[in-house]
Formats: sequence, C-alpha cells, structure tokens
Amino acid sequence: MEIFLQQCINGLTLGGLYALIALGYTMVYGIIQLINFAHGEFFAAGGYVGVILLAWMAAQGMTQSHPWLCMGLALLLTMIYCAMLAMAVERVAYKPLRHSSRLSVLLSALGMSIFLQNGLMLTQGVYDKAYPTEMVSGLVTFGGLQISIMQILILSTTAVLLVGLNALVFRTNVGKAMRATAQDKVMSALVGINSGRIIALTFAIGAGLAAAAGIMVGFNYGSVRYDMGFVPGIKAFAAAVLGGIGNITGAMVGGLIIGMVEVMAAAYIQGGTEYKDVFAFIILIAVLYFMPTGIMGENVDDTRV
Amino acid sequence: MNRNMWRVLMLALALCLAATGPALGAKLKIGSLSPLTGPYAADGNDIANGVRAAIAAIEKEGGIPGFDGIELMAEDSACDPKQAVAAANKLVSAKVAGVVGAYCSSATIPASEVLAEEDIPMLTPASTNEKVTERGLKYMFRVCGRDDDQSVAAVTFLTGHLKAKTLYVVDDKTTYSQGLADNVEKLAAAKGIKVIAHDHVNQGDKDFSAVLTKIKSANPDALYMSLQNSASGALMLIQARRMGITAAVIGQDAVYHPQLMEIAKEAAEGAYLTFGFIDENTEAYKKFASAYAAFGKPGAYSGYAYDSAYVLLSAIKAAKSTDPAKVKAEIMKMDIQGASKKIKFMANGDSGSNYIIRMVKGGQFVNFWDPATGKTY
Repeated sequence: MEIFLQQCINGLTLGGLYALIALGYTMVYGIIQLINFAHGEFFAAGGYVGVILLAWMAAQGMTQSHPWLCMGLALLLTMIYCAMLAMAVERVAYKPLRHSSRLSVLLSALGMSIFLQNGLMLTQGVYDKAYPTEMVSGLVTFGGLQISIMQILILSTTAVLLVGLNALVFRTNVGKAMRATAQDKVMSALVGINSGRIIALTFAIGAGLAAAAGIMVGFNYGSVRYDMGFVPGIKAFAAAVLGGIGNITGAMVGGLIIGMVEVMAAAYIQGGTEYKDVFAFIILIAVLYFMPTGIMGENVDDTRV
Repeated sequence: MNRNMWRVLMLALALCLAATGPALGAKLKIGSLSPLTGPYAADGNDIANGVRAAIAAIEKEGGIPGFDGIELMAEDSACDPKQAVAAANKLVSAKVAGVVGAYCSSATIPASEVLAEEDIPMLTPASTNEKVTERGLKYMFRVCGRDDDQSVAAVTFLTGHLKAKTLYVVDDKTTYSQGLADNVEKLAAAKGIKVIAHDHVNQGDKDFSAVLTKIKSANPDALYMSLQNSASGALMLIQARRMGITAAVIGQDAVYHPQLMEIAKEAAEGAYLTFGFIDENTEAYKKFASAYAAFGKPGAYSGYAYDSAYVLLSAIKAAKSTDPAKVKAEIMKMDIQGASKKIKFMANGDSGSNYIIRMVKGGQFVNFWDPATGKTY
C-alpha cells in the first residue's frame, strides 16, 4: 500500500508537468486550430533561461541568502521571457499565414521547432546543463511515505497555475474575449475584440506555463538539454488529445492520466518500465476509439479557448 | 530579372565562395567519426576534440614531413548506422589517410565496412562491442577495451569486494548497454549472486521514479546501472539517493564523464564505475593534458581519441607514406605508453583491456579497486 501511494505521488508529479505543457497545445488549438509543434521548445527554452538566471543569481551570492526568493523570481522571469518568445514566434511564423491553409501553418510550426531546437544547441552547447538542485533538497516523511520537497513544490506550483489559468479564462474580461475569439473570430472582431492581440496572448500564456514546467523539470531531475522539448512535447500533445483538444480542463485531466499510466505501468506490469510509453499511447488509442473527441471534448464551444 | 532570381544567384555565389574556402596546399587529411549532435553529442565532441589535440601535439613536434599541415574532417555519425555510412562515404571520397571513430558500436561496424573497401585504416577510441574486431577486417584497430572484459571486471568487484548477495540490473536498451547488462546478469548468476530483476528504461528518460521505487522496496545490495549516457546516469543517481536507496551503484564506461559529477553533485559520491586504468603520472598523459587544455576538461574518451589519432599520425610519419599497408606495418610495430593506456596491437586489431573499478570521491574519479589483484589502490 505504501509503495502504491508512493507511485501515485510519482505519477501525480509527472502528470502535473505534462498537464502544464498540454495546456499550451490545447489553448492554441482552441483558438486558431493549429497544432503548435514548436510548443515543446518553449518548455526547453524555459529550462535553459531558468538555469542561466539562477547561475547569474548564484554569482551575485543571492541564492545563498534568499533561495526561495531567487527560485520564485527565476520562475516568474522565465515565464515572462518565454511568453515574449512565443509572441515573437507567433508574429514571425504564424501571423503571416493566418489566411493560408492549415497545412502551411503546421509546416511553419514544424520548421520553427527545428529552428528553435538547433538555436538552443548552437547557443548553449550540446552538453547537459546542471541545475542547482542543492537549493531544494530534503524529504518529508508521512508514515512510510516519502515525498521530496521538490515534488511538493511541483504539485503546489502546478495547482496554483492551473487554478490561476481557470480563473483567468472563466472569470475575467480577457478570458471572455479569448473564448469569444475561439468561437468566432469575425463576430468577436465586430464587437470590438482585437483578435490578433488575443491570439498572441494565448500563445504567451501557453508558453509561460510550458516554461514553468521546464524550470521545474530542471530542478526535479537535475539537468536540462537542448533536445529535452521533444519527447515531453509529444506526450503532452497526446495528453491534450486524450482530454479533448481545445478543452482546458481536458488537457489537465489528460496530462494527469498520461503521467499516472506511465508510472503505474512501469511499477506494476512485468517489463513495464521498458514499455511505459506504449501503455500511455494505448490508453490514448482506446479512449479515442470509443470517444473520438477525447474525454472532455465536445462541441459546446463556450468552455473552449 | 526579378528580385527573387537575384537572391537565388547571390546565394549560389555565396555558396561557391564558401566551398572554395580552404587553401589548396598539400595537407594531410584525416577523418573523425563521432556523434556531434543528438543525445551522445557530449562524448562525440570529446572524441573530435581528442583528435584535434593529437593533431596540435604532432604539429608542435614538427608536423609530418612532406605535408603542409594536417587537416581534420570531423564528421557526424549521430550514433546512427545510416548516417555513419553516409559520413564514411564522404570521408572515402575526400581520400582521407585514416579515420578515428566511431562512438556507438552500432555505427562503427557498418562504417568500418565502407572504409574497409578502400583499405582506409580505422581506429576506434570508444566502441567496446566484441564484434568490432571479430570480423577479420585488415585495417580495423581498437584502442579502448572490450565489453566481455568489462562485465567480468564488474562481477569480480561484486563478489570480491562488495560481497554482494543480491543485484538489480537496469539498462537502456542499446546494443552496447543491454549487451553489457546481459553479460553482467549471466556472470553474476553463475557466481551465486541473486539477480532480483533486470529492468529496461528508455533512452532519454528523465523520470526514473517508478523503477527506483521498485528498487527501493526490493532493497538489493548492489545496482548495476548500464546506461548509454552519463547525464542519464546522473539523473538516476540523484533520484535514487533522494529516495534513500543505499545500494552500491556500479556503472560502466558510458556513464564515465565529468558531467556525472557536475549534474549529480553529492549524489554521485561513492558511485563505482568500470573504466580503463589511466595513469595520470606518465609523460604521455601530461602531454595530452596540455594539448587538450584548449578544449576544457577531458571527457571519458578524449584520451582514447587522442591516442588513436596520435598512433595513426605517428605511423604515417614513420612510414613516410599514406599507403595503408605501410601504415599498418608501422601501427603493428608500435609499443608505446599512450595517454590512456599502454598500446600494443594484437593480430585482430585489439589492444587489450585494462578495466579497473574507479569511484567518485570529492567530485573526482579516483582509482579504487583492481580486479586483477583484488586490492584497493
């Protein structure tokens, strides 16, 4: 039982990270029906910006005196940086193609992904970059259960970000404008919504969340590498599809399911560590077979972004 | 002519200029094959840099008579058989005098067959799979050790020093890492060690929490960690120690890289690795260290790559020719202390293994235990 609970926590941590990345896919798809293949690179860029900021802070001696402040600041600045990067990418690679066929935009996204990944490799090198994991170490023990401080941080930060996003989309005027643009760009423009700006904002928010995931992955696992965006990107995309692409709550649920299935398959199925990704995708196929729109996908458009 | 045509023309012109860039002197051309991109790029760049350091060292000693300098073609094999063959073909058409590489055995083997057709000598600094030198190729040499010897060293250490009763084996499914792990599992079982399980993870995984939770509850005496990449090894160590796994961890030569300590920091302390014995007090090592200083800290294979290139270039120098038969004759005559080990080639192209157990201590790799004598250093 203890081991089962331990694996649950492992699964929740991983799933929360997938969920954060999946949100970017789903929000962008919701608003302009584009699968943004460059999204995984925002996650990788976030990991790198975070480690660069932290190294600079350590050089100033700030990480010694105020570790928590430094981490919070690094997280915030990284999210802002990646949000701006995503807006730039949207401006350069997607906006000029707004009225082209969907295939052109998709190819542009693939090209952007290759461009960003190689840009990271050329500027940051091919070696892994180590995170200052000593800033957060230690375990909390509940009965026989061990949870690392980092896992608690990931779970709580993810929860805060998810709740914040929900509030933004469903409780604010900006959120209302996003939902309106998702439903009908022409009509929302007629009532005075600047759809270009709303689309850019959607990219920015998605990339900000992915960047947060990047920095937390760096802290949790200890290092980042230029090509780290690819595999989690694909899994998060699967999570978004599983939850019903275009649906925000669906992306969160999908992320958690993929994370859980992966960990449980590795833990309890003979030879499962080797095929854990296979099990995650089997679940995806099974769900799509019976519910082609995903778990929460539906055509009632007001929950879509 | 419209603007687009102009652009195309200008681009074509720029490409022509770029292509004719290098000066047309009688330079000696040698090649290197290693993964310069992809997950093994760290080791791959170490290899290319090791070759560059050897070229610098040879040129400092007066270069090779009859040639106006030495030119390196550093090709990317990407640890991929197809790309390695394409890169080998490129080296063949450039008429290189010899090749140092590749890294992954699964890339070295097909590339060596392309080079063998043209009788181009190939010296591998890192491919430890047995098959590399067991195909009867005339111009295939191996400067590193062999996997069958490496697994014996690991198991001798398990029984002889750790007195382990139970073992957990994890690998990441490459020709190399799984082959080694299978050997260790078999040998350990034959020596009466109970192998609790042999799990496989995927290359490039970052999250090992599921398999480590299983290991923690199995509580083995030792964990054999056969991963293809030092960064993955570091991630596994961090997560294992964070979970409170106290088993002795034994890795192999692919995990052996300064990155291991840079990433894992104190979590790497006390980890054991099988690696060739390197005597850092020899003249050859000091010469290598000073030539390599320009490229940063030496990686696992930097020294082997340096030795491979050094052997090749010295043989060309001694033969006063790039004729493969004469170069081979000189290589076989060699009996020298290299930066990484004593080099004397056998008929099949192997140069012997000298695996010992090294340990991470104070953020450094230190010699720990010698399986030949059963003694700690």
